[in-house]
Amino acid sequence: MTIVIILKSIIIGALVGFGVGAGAARMFHAPTVQGMGAFRTLGELNACQGDPISHFSFGLGFLFNSWATVIGAGALTQDVEHRIIPNWAAALLLTKNRNVKETLHDPKKMAVAGAIVGAILIPLLNSTAAAVPQSLQNVATKVLVPAANWLINPVMPIIFWLAALDAGKRTGIWGTILGGLAHLIMGNAVPGIVLGILIGKGVDDSGWNRITKTLVTTVIILFVLSGFFRGFDVALLKSMNIGIPQWLINLHKFFGMVVK
Amino acid sequence: MEDIKIEDKKLGFWYSEWGFIVFVMALASGIFGGTHLYYTYHVGAFNDLAVVALLEAGLKGGGFGAAAAFGGAFLFARVIEGPLVGILDIGGALQTGVGIGIPALMLGAGFTAPLESFPLALLTGAILGAIIGVVIISIRKFTVDKIDSTFGADIMMGAGNAAGRYLGPLIVISAVMASIPVGLGAIIGAAVFYAYKKPIAGGAILGAMLMGVFFPIQ
Repeated sequence: MTIVIILKSIIIGALVGFGVGAGAARMFHAPTVQGMGAFRTLGELNACQGDPISHFSFGLGFLFNSWATVIGAGALTQDVEHRIIPNWAAALLLTKNRNVKETLHDPKKMAVAGAIVGAILIPLLNSTAAAVPQSLQNVATKVLVPAANWLINPVMPIIFWLAALDAGKRTGIWGTILGGLAHLIMGNAVPGIVLGILIGKGVDDSGWNRITKTLVTTVIILFVLSGFFRGFDVALLKSMNIGIPQWLINLHKFFGMVVK
Repeated sequence: MEDIKIEDKKLGFWYSEWGFIVFVMALASGIFGGTHLYYTYHVGAFNDLAVVALLEAGLKGGGFGAAAAFGGAFLFARVIEGPLVGILDIGGALQTGVGIGIPALMLGAGFTAPLESFPLALLTGAILGAIIGVVIISIRKFTVDKIDSTFGADIMMGAGNAAGRYLGPLIVISAVMASIPVGLGAIIGAAVFYAYKKPIAGGAILGAMLMGVFFPIQ
């Protein structure tokens, strides 16, 4: 069984690493070129300033946590694709050439480096059991996890929120309203603020045309749907001490959610 | 936009729009393969514990509704956002959407074959990735290329970059709160890295781990 997992993991790791590497390098050319990754990945890659040791140790820091969760629960964590693969691929390339423009920003080289890192890393993570020393595992979990959680909430919402406020009145208003609602409904304000900046800046730059109107409509539908599927409507009525109408309970039941 | 591309020599497959579709296909295929590993061997799902737990709840017979709605909503939001800001979020669109949401939808509908067979899982992922890639490139074609707005992508990139800087101090604070020796290790590590003009996050992690070997956190 272990051999099968290793073989499958090599294929999966190479595919994932290839996509992550190319996508990460293309982020440096966004928005002209469509990139793939995350704003935080871009920020962290920049934070390491093209220093191979920093890229490597940053990725290493998250490795132990990913290792611990995959051993414990079979979940590799999002860090494998957001942090470990891009940073190690960067470290691999930067040891040979310190010019980030010719390495980290080059989708071809990053795709190849990412595929190599992925094809080694994923089988390693998936096949080893309980190989992480307990003390290192503890430190990684107890130090990195809270720091990463604080970054996601509240640091990132605040940074994006302030950026929206500083970008002009319209962006500030949309960012505040959608950000606040997103934090209520989705549990994190960042997606809402991002959509607020999109709408605010879109209208600032090109006015109320078909595209910006479609965008606003789509965003409203998105909020309504995610509110409904996360049971926000029921929670709202409950917290205001209003009885939940039977048709709403039936509607939720129809989509497989039991209203208590 | 075309002029900028030529100036920066961002040409050829690796910078092209159909290249993007290929990269999304590869990544989505691998992620769906990871979910197949989780489904068959309970290892290798590309997501955080909390999100994988949603899928696990479904596999244990608790209904796939939560995982499907959560993953589906993320996928939708990120596919809309991706082409407008120029960065497709892997975590929301692919890891959560393709890796958790769509498998949950399939399993909820009793459609287990794509998750039971490894080649079929890779193929399903690649097809899903192709669809997502084409949708994103189409949205780009119909929006960004036609109007003179980046929809504030520069603002979001700036905020993303700023967020990365916070991680170093956050790690030191977290280490200090974990235990005194680990905190001291993180402080010294961060200071040494700063003195050598390296980002302090790496130093803080290494310092904390080194002390953690000798003084395990209770």
